Formats: sequence, C-alpha cells, structure tokens
Amino acid sequence: MKRSNPPVPQRPPESQAHGAPIHARLATEADLPALVPLIIRLKRLNEEFDSMLKVRPDAEAQAEAVLKAELKSPKSLIIAAEGAGPDKDKVVGVVRAAIRERLFYMPETEGVILDIYLLPLYRRHGAGRYLVEHTIAQLKERGAGIVTVEFPAQNEIATRFYAKCGFRPITAHHARMA
Amino acid sequence: MVEATRPRSPSSGSPPAPPAEESAESEASQTTALNERALRLAEFYRGKIETVPKVPVRSLRDFSLWYTPGIAAVSREIEHDADRAFHMTGRWNTIAILTDGSRVLGLGNIGPQAALPVMEGKALLFKYLGGVDAVPLPVNASTPEALIETALRIAPAFGGINLEDIASPKCFQVLEELQRRLPIPVWHDDQLGTAAATLAGLINALELTGRDMSTIRTVMLGAGAANLVTVRLLVRMGHDPHRITVVDQRGILEAERPDMDEMQLHNRWKYRVALETDGGGRKGTLAEAMAGADVVLAASTPVPGTIHQEWVRSMAPHPIVFALANPLPEIWPAEARAAGAAIVATGRSDFPNQVNNSLIFPAVFRGVLDARARAIPDDIVIAAAQELARYASMKGLSDQHLLPTMDERDCFPHVAAAVAEAAVALGIARVRASREEFFEQARRIMARPAALVVALQESGLMDPMPDEPVPPGKPR
Repeated sequence: MKRSNPPVPQRPPESQAHGAPIHARLATEADLPALVPLIIRLKRLNEEFDSMLKVRPDAEAQAEAVLKAELKSPKSLIIAAEGAGPDKDKVVGVVRAAIRERLFYMPETEGVILDIYLLPLYRRHGAGRYLVEHTIAQLKERGAGIVTVEFPAQNEIATRFYAKCGFRPITAHHARMA
Repeated sequence: MVEATRPRSPSSGSPPAPPAEESAESEASQTTALNERALRLAEFYRGKIETVPKVPVRSLRDFSLWYTPGIAAVSREIEHDADRAFHMTGRWNTIAILTDGSRVLGLGNIGPQAALPVMEGKALLFKYLGGVDAVPLPVNASTPEALIETALRIAPAFGGINLEDIASPKCFQVLEELQRRLPIPVWHDDQLGTAAATLAGLINALELTGRDMSTIRTVMLGAGAANLVTVRLLVRMGHDPHRITVVDQRGILEAERPDMDEMQLHNRWKYRVALETDGGGRKGTLAEAMAGADVVLAASTPVPGTIHQEWVRSMAPHPIVFALANPLPEIWPAEARAAGAAIVATGRSDFPNQVNNSLIFPAVFRGVLDARARAIPDDIVIAAAQELARYASMKGLSDQHLLPTMDERDCFPHVAAAVAEAAVALGIARVRASREEFFEQARRIMARPAALVVALQESGLMDPMPDEPVPPGKPR
C-alpha cells in the first residue's frame, strides 16, 4: 500500500484462502487483554437472551483468571481470531473450548465449544463457519471423536448457524430458579 | 379572535440564549392559544373529512345503476379481472392511513384511538394537497405481525397504504414486509417522507456551497427512522458510507460499540448502518464526529443546545447545518449562523429553509397512484427529492431559499410527474404516459380539492370558522 494514501477507513479485505476476513491461531498469554473483553461481550449477549444468564459483577476478573488457567491446561483450547489486511494483528474473535471424557458414551472423548465470539464487522463472509471448522479440527487433533457446543436456548441465530454446520440437539439443559 | 401574540420580553438567561423573538415565554403563550383554538374547532367540526357522493343522483331510480341491481355487472367484471377495480371503483385514488398509534407526533405511544385526530388531519392534507382520498385507519395491533396482517387484509380497498406514526424499529419491519408482500405502493412517511425532504434540502445546500455528494463528510445526529433511511438514500446517491458518522445518545455509532450485539437482536436496521458506516472511521462523542465535517443532519432531541456552537466552528469551512428536531431545533439558526454555518435548515415554518415532509408525500402518492406503480423503491424517493430540489433552484436558490415553501404549491404536480416518470422508467408503472401527461393530470386532480372547499364555503354547505368574523354579505 502506498504511504501517500489519505487515511480513509478501510474494510478488511476478503482475500484469505478460506474466504473469511479472519485468521485463527492458538492464543497465548499475550492475547489476554484482547480476549477478556470479547468473552465479556459474549456473556452480555447471552444475558440478552435469558435473565437466568445474568452476568456477575466480577465477570471480567473471572474471565481473566479462567482464561489464564485454561491457556496452560492440556484439557483446554483457546483460539484467537485475527483480522486481515490492516487488521492483521488485531484480535477480533475468540473461542474457548474444552476436552472432556464421556463416562458412559462413545466416542469417549468430547470437544466442547464453550464460548465463541466474533466482533460484528468480522462476522460475514463465512468467518463464523471458518472459525468453527478450525476449532473442530483442533479438537479432533486432541482426540475428540464428537464435538458439542453450548449456547443460550433462546439464541435462534446460533441455533440456525450450528444446524447449518451440521450440529443437532442431543441433550437438553433446563433451569429454574432455586 | 385568537391571534398569536408576538414576543414581549426576551428570556433572561438560561443558556443557550435563543433569539429574542423565540423566547420561551412567547413560545409558550403562542402554543397555548393554538392548542385552545384547535380544541374548540375540533369540537365544532367533529372530524375534518367526510364521504361525499361523486356521481349524479337525479332520483332514487339512479341507485339501480350505482347500487343493486346494476352494480352486480361491475362486480362480475372485476371478479373476472381484478385489475378492473382500478378502472371501475375509487381504488385508483384511495389510500389507507394506517397506524397502531405507537409513536404519534412527539406524544409517544398514545394508542390508536387518540391517534385518530392526527390521522384525520393527515387525510385532509392528502386530499387538499395531493387530491388523494385517504381513509384514517388507526387499528388495535399490539405486534408488528398484527399490523402487517391488518394491512394485507384491507389492501383490496386501496391503491396504496400510508403507514403513519409507528414506533421505530417496528416501522422498518412493517414497511419492509408490506413492500415485499403487497402489489401496491406502501409508504412510511416518518421514514421516507422526512428522508426525501432532507435529501432535497441537502442537494441544494451542496449546490450552494460548491460541494459534491461523493466527497463530503456528513454527521447524522439521531438514529431514528428518518436518519437511518437518509443514510441509505445518501449512499444510494453516491455518498461514501465511510464518510458518514451517525451519532445517537450513546455517542458515535460504530461497529465495535459495546451495544452492537444487543442492537443486532433488537434493531437490525441500525445495526446494519453501524456496520456499513463504522462511525465514518471515528469513535467517541458528537464533538469528535463534527470536527471537520461538511454537513450535520440532526433529527434528534428537541432541545436547543444539543449542538454547541463550538462544534459548528470545528466543522469544515462553510458548513451545512440541518437542525430538524421539532418544535425546538437542536441549535437555534442564529446561533448556528454566528458559529459560521453557511446554510441552516430547520423543521419549522417560522424560519427560512423548512424541511417539511408535506412537500413530499402528497406529490409522491399523486405520482405513484397516477402511474399505478407497484411499489415505491428508493429510486422513486430520490427522484422526488431531486425534483423538489430542482423546483426550488428554478425559483432561485439562496441560503434563505433552499426548498419550496408551502406557499409554492406549484411544486406538487412537478414532483408528482417526476415520481410517475421514474415509476415508468423503473418498469413498475401499470399506466404509461409521458411526463407532460402525468403533470397535467396531477395538476388537474390536485387543483380540485381547494376549489371544492371554496365552493362548499360559498354555498354555505361548510360552516365558517365559528371564531372568525363573517365577511359582509355572507350568511352565517
């Protein structure tokens, strides 16, 4: 890019091989300051769907502590999504996933997508799909024979999105106030 | 006799000091007088429109033509070809003014019953200015789906539907879905009429200040129905979306604002604008948005002082300021001028350059009804705005004359003809005629209601205003 160009705002180019304007990689501790706000955005979005998902006042500290521990754990997978072009080094999305043992069912190893969030500007052009497929591949590499995902039951956008990705409901998770 | 009293004393103090003749005190006394008179006249006339026969009735035997048995033949013909309804009934010139009363004027959600006088007034404007027979239809509809369902059900009686005073963002969903599902023009004045009038003013303001749509930087204050549609029309006309900065109560609307996810769920129209403009590359407050901007289009809170003079000073040289909040503009015109604004427009008739949707909707409906357009796409809205702008510039453009006033009603048939012509060009008109033919038809139809009112008054069939002196020689 020529340096003499006026500083007009630019979109991320859609020139990645997979067509999505993002690039996924394993997160490191250096990403923590960028990842925490993304997790908090997701939790606040979940709260929009259901009052039983009310975000704790200490959620930010919680996110930081949890991510810090999970970054070191072999049973966890934290992925950072970066933008492309001028946003190449900007973290624009996050995935939190875990490896769990299924005690009674087969396949025995399950990869769980706990949290997945992309900033709005980076959601289109198959970016979400790319991030999910990338995560599934990483979980498979860690031995997962089945992949599950958790999200608010009222989130119809997510329901439709994961159906398109080949997911279907297998267990239900109901709640009432105690 | 109730005459609005002119100002006595300028208000002392509370900033920002409005111009002397706009003191809060005189404002209040004028408003009170007007309100009292409106109440009295509403009770005197009990409604502003009525159904009047439009066919000769020489004796009751004529009813065998206008009604049964003769009318059965007309019904049979329409049964075979529904399109004939536009030729053999009043459908061609009749629209519904449909509202759920969820956002009436500045009164908020007052419900359908209380919305009725407003819809009657709108019907009067439609008839008087556009020659359009408009039926006020406030309905009980608690959800957007119910309102949509209602419109679909009543459509056989109407050549078009004017949605009125429906809360945002509900109004977007209702308009979008009805435009998709109905083969007749559907319009929401608070979105399209206001946006078109704003656009017309802006076209001429750009002309006067030697600017081009493709290079300007624009700040939109307020993210309600009108401004969101204005953004869409501006982009359609070549405005770079990355040079538009929309600002609402929470500051600059940009793609990383914390409320974006919530917005995606509850107002996807605003969400889309946030993605498309991304704050024009800016984040922060209105002050940050306005620095260096060429234009500010404000349709937000009716509080003078919403826009500070220093922010106008921070704009590009010879800036354009549209302070359209009603009844009180976001900044008084004199203050905007003093801060360097080259052109100032407001929503008020007592200042120069009133941006008024009444300049748009009667003519748009006249045009789409005469062309029997299937829809009102954005290109028709833009055509109306361009014609209104052209008409004003034909009459002589100046910083005091940006748009026609309501006294320049000659503009209406011109705009109607431009609308009809655009419908033909877009291939959505079921009547094909030349622009001149559309113009002549519009002029003829639009001239009739005023003549009718005069005839009714002169014949004594319409009561004179009870609080005005009767001219000599006229029966009371």
